[in-house]
Amino acid sequence: MTALLLDSVSHDFSTRRAPWRRRRTTATGPAVDNLSLHVDHGEVVAMIGLNGAGKTTALRALTGRLRPDSGTAEILGHDAAELPPSVAAQFGHVVDAPLVFADLTVTENLRAAARLHGCPVGHIEDLVGDTRRQLALDAWADVRARALSQGNRQRLGIGSATIHSPRALVLDEPTSALDPRGVVIVRQLVRDLAAQGTAVLVSSHHLDEVSRVADRIVAVHAGRVVENFDPSGPDLESRFFASVLAAEREVPRADRTGEEA
Amino acid sequence: MIPGLGAALQVEALLLRRSVVLWIALPVLAGLVPGGSFGAVALARSGYGDGAAAAKLAPYAAGEPGTTVMVALAQILSVAVLTAGGFATAWAFGQPFADGTAGASFGLTVPRTTIALARCLALVATLATAVLAATLVGLALAALGGAILPEGPPSTGPGLGRATFTALTAGLLGIGLALPLAWVATVTRSAFGTIGVLVALIATTQVIVLLGAGSWFPYAASSLWTGMGGTEAASAVGLPQLALTAAVGPTAVVAVVHAWRHLTDV
Repeated sequence: MTALLLDSVSHDFSTRRAPWRRRRTTATGPAVDNLSLHVDHGEVVAMIGLNGAGKTTALRALTGRLRPDSGTAEILGHDAAELPPSVAAQFGHVVDAPLVFADLTVTENLRAAARLHGCPVGHIEDLVGDTRRQLALDAWADVRARALSQGNRQRLGIGSATIHSPRALVLDEPTSALDPRGVVIVRQLVRDLAAQGTAVLVSSHHLDEVSRVADRIVAVHAGRVVENFDPSGPDLESRFFASVLAAEREVPRADRTGEEA
Repeated sequence: MIPGLGAALQVEALLLRRSVVLWIALPVLAGLVPGGSFGAVALARSGYGDGAAAAKLAPYAAGEPGTTVMVALAQILSVAVLTAGGFATAWAFGQPFADGTAGASFGLTVPRTTIALARCLALVATLATAVLAATLVGLALAALGGAILPEGPPSTGPGLGRATFTALTAGLLGIGLALPLAWVATVTRSAFGTIGVLVALIATTQVIVLLGAGSWFPYAASSLWTGMGGTEAASAVGLPQLALTAAVGPTAVVAVVHAWRHLTDV
């Protein structure tokens, strides 16, 4: 059963701006262009692509943070922008910045995340302790988030997004700042959640890492899905670049050098 | 009770307790403002000169010193709460856009609209506590002033009870006046931009008062009511004008919640 769904989603940032924000002088084309993908329960799907391919825009649409110009974004069968609390209680995400408050300690952040995810009050301390241990954050339990290294902060963000054991999870570059130990910890967490039936969508640049964690890989280029890969196949890097080059030949990528006026 | 409001209030109260902005704003309101009021009255009665400042402080030289401390407190508090509360509001609603927690608050069991409402309520409760503290500290200093400062010539001003009520009310009205800045911070997504709007608002208020139209302008009405513009200007502010001023806060909360409901591209 599909838990995460993007169906024919398109969005062009150059078409609308707040009046006090300066317009682009050069049209850049749509950030996502008729992009469709789905993730089933118990499945880990990795979205890979070059910088500016549209991965984060797609994830923002999927998490309800961006209302796309057209298309549908659904989480557990509901409109991503208007999740009922009972559905939101089964959803977690880290896209761009995590739910981490710089002035709170690691423990306070996890406690706050558990409260905002609707965890029962009587279980919160257990959940906080378990999450801290699982993500190897015990040593920083009483350290404010602003004082954490980028890697520890990233693990804390993932802990805040998963403390309630979501059934649908979206992670944008979850291992970008992690050391090898942190990568293994997060990989194990993602696989454990998938084993429990959670649908996980991960975006990443680390082809080697996604081939280890994903059941299926989706290559995105110029805002479109250009290829689906089996992660167990040989030489993922070559296959990825071949798919990008094929997409470039098919539809030349719009000039993306336009800057703010 | 709105579902999730308790959880959101708990988190927002903790965030406010940990914020540097609040730790600066609260001592300013609860300490510096009453201290400044006492100082103004003491200076007015010290016979230190006859310059422009002395002319400005002349009203504080008349009447019973303790009562005059509370009159001065009401006048200063009406502006100070808007300023300190405006900074706190700009930070509380602008910072989440800078650090990304505004976007991270999507898709939570506690809806972002409930979080925005809780943030408003936590700010109101915190600033109201500061206003109450400022009034109590002011009363203590008024008692001290009554004991050590010289009695001035008879005054037609309010008694101690009325002056205390005015200080408390002006402070609470100032909190409501700061809340539209939460909407500004949400729409502009910038704490600094919001502080710019606060400065512009204060400057605009000055101009409107100079033009003599302040009594119906909520940002001027409460200050004028405390006597900051003189007895005549104070008498022009009655219940309708104060009711209009009091309506600003609740209206702003509705606007903030609406703005958070329709947030996109975060």
